[in-house]
Amino acid sequence: MIPLGTDLNTSHEELQQAAIDFAKDALGHDMIERDREQAFDRDDWQKCAEFGVQGMPIPQEYGGLGLGILPLIGVMEGLGYGCRDSGLLFSLNAHLWTNSIPILIYGTEEQKTRWLPPLCDGSLVGANGASEPDAGSDIFSMRTRATRRGNEYVLNGAKTFVTNAPVADLFVVYATIDPALGPMGITAFIVERDRPGLNIGKHMEKMGLRTSPMAEVVLEDCIVPIDNRLGREGRGVEIFECSMEWERGCILGSFLGVMRRQLEGCIAHARSRKQFGKAIGKFQSVANRIVDMRVRLDTSRPMVYRIGELKEQNKTAVLEASIAKLYVSEALVQSALDAVQIYGGYGYMTEQEVERDLRDAVAGTLYSGTSEIQRNIIARSLGL
Amino acid sequence: MDPIKESLRSFILAEYLLGESPANLTDQTPLRTSGILDSMATLGLVSFVEKTFGVMLDAHETGIDNFDRIEDIAALVARKKLGQ
Repeated sequence: MIPLGTDLNTSHEELQQAAIDFAKDALGHDMIERDREQAFDRDDWQKCAEFGVQGMPIPQEYGGLGLGILPLIGVMEGLGYGCRDSGLLFSLNAHLWTNSIPILIYGTEEQKTRWLPPLCDGSLVGANGASEPDAGSDIFSMRTRATRRGNEYVLNGAKTFVTNAPVADLFVVYATIDPALGPMGITAFIVERDRPGLNIGKHMEKMGLRTSPMAEVVLEDCIVPIDNRLGREGRGVEIFECSMEWERGCILGSFLGVMRRQLEGCIAHARSRKQFGKAIGKFQSVANRIVDMRVRLDTSRPMVYRIGELKEQNKTAVLEASIAKLYVSEALVQSALDAVQIYGGYGYMTEQEVERDLRDAVAGTLYSGTSEIQRNIIARSLGL
Repeated sequence: MDPIKESLRSFILAEYLLGESPANLTDQTPLRTSGILDSMATLGLVSFVEKTFGVMLDAHETGIDNFDRIEDIAALVARKKLGQ
């Protein structure tokens, strides 16, 4: 195994190793077929809950483990390394950072007590409805309306690219109370799946992360009580950006694990595969690709763990998360491409399970803000 | 010199207009409709106003009418403080 850096202390390394052992043993079976069939594995979801994944950042009083963010990133790295089902990991990340964490940080005591324990123990799957057909990167131009009516809100609109929607039980949905207010009208709501007026639209087939289900969500005169509002009216932008900061930082932990797994696989292949009478790793053109993969991994790790260090100190990490998201997601795509090239024709074959990592990696440059949006955020921090 | 306006001006210059001459940020300079403040910057300014001046702003008070120019924001703060 490629040695870890010095980002984790001994107890955190043990936790990461436990996550690797768990993931290798319990998760990601029958991946070729499930990827083809776009099959989400609810049993694996439950196993993750029993291991504690869904409760990692949630305090014990709400049914979680109360882990700090550094060990949490370490566990994510371990899961990325040990679990070949990147779709499952993506679903877990969506559940954690765009549903559980907003409820933990912005929820009332009643909301936290009601929703966090079942979100931790695996009985509920969380999802997040923000993007709309005409509001993607320009997320705050959303049209979904929340009309106040006494002690209720009436939600109307359509959400797209909703990860977990086909299997989700609880949604955090963003809507505007008044389009004239622009971003300051955006408000967040907790909406249960069985609430009348919430309908799951068509399943969306994807290039990668195919075991993570995605669909549209349509809200049609969906009435939610005022008690389901998450945070203050007009403060949805803050909640959404908080979600993105967590997601951008923590989901990258699993990217590190994938990069380590790919690197080790490529080294082993380059040592054992012989062409022209010698191991292909003895050819500089192959060795150099592997060296570049190693360099990408080693330059990515400090970026990701720096986010954890800042957040452990209760400091903002918006800029650092954007820098890391931009760099690490694009590094993962390049390393996945290199892996396919190192395996040659076999790498292009589904059976080798190398090409799937490439398809899965591409999404990382798109979700949680595209690479272009990350560059915009970084430029803004430079006063540009 | 209005301390509310100067406080707002200092914050906007430090956070969103690095290197800009203070003379170019007048009380009447549009902040949001000109693109100086994007959504996150607007939210940052709302949070700054609430914390600095000890007022709570309703969503409907942060529309373009009340929250696009320093003089409008300062007037809003003054009204809110008067009503406390």
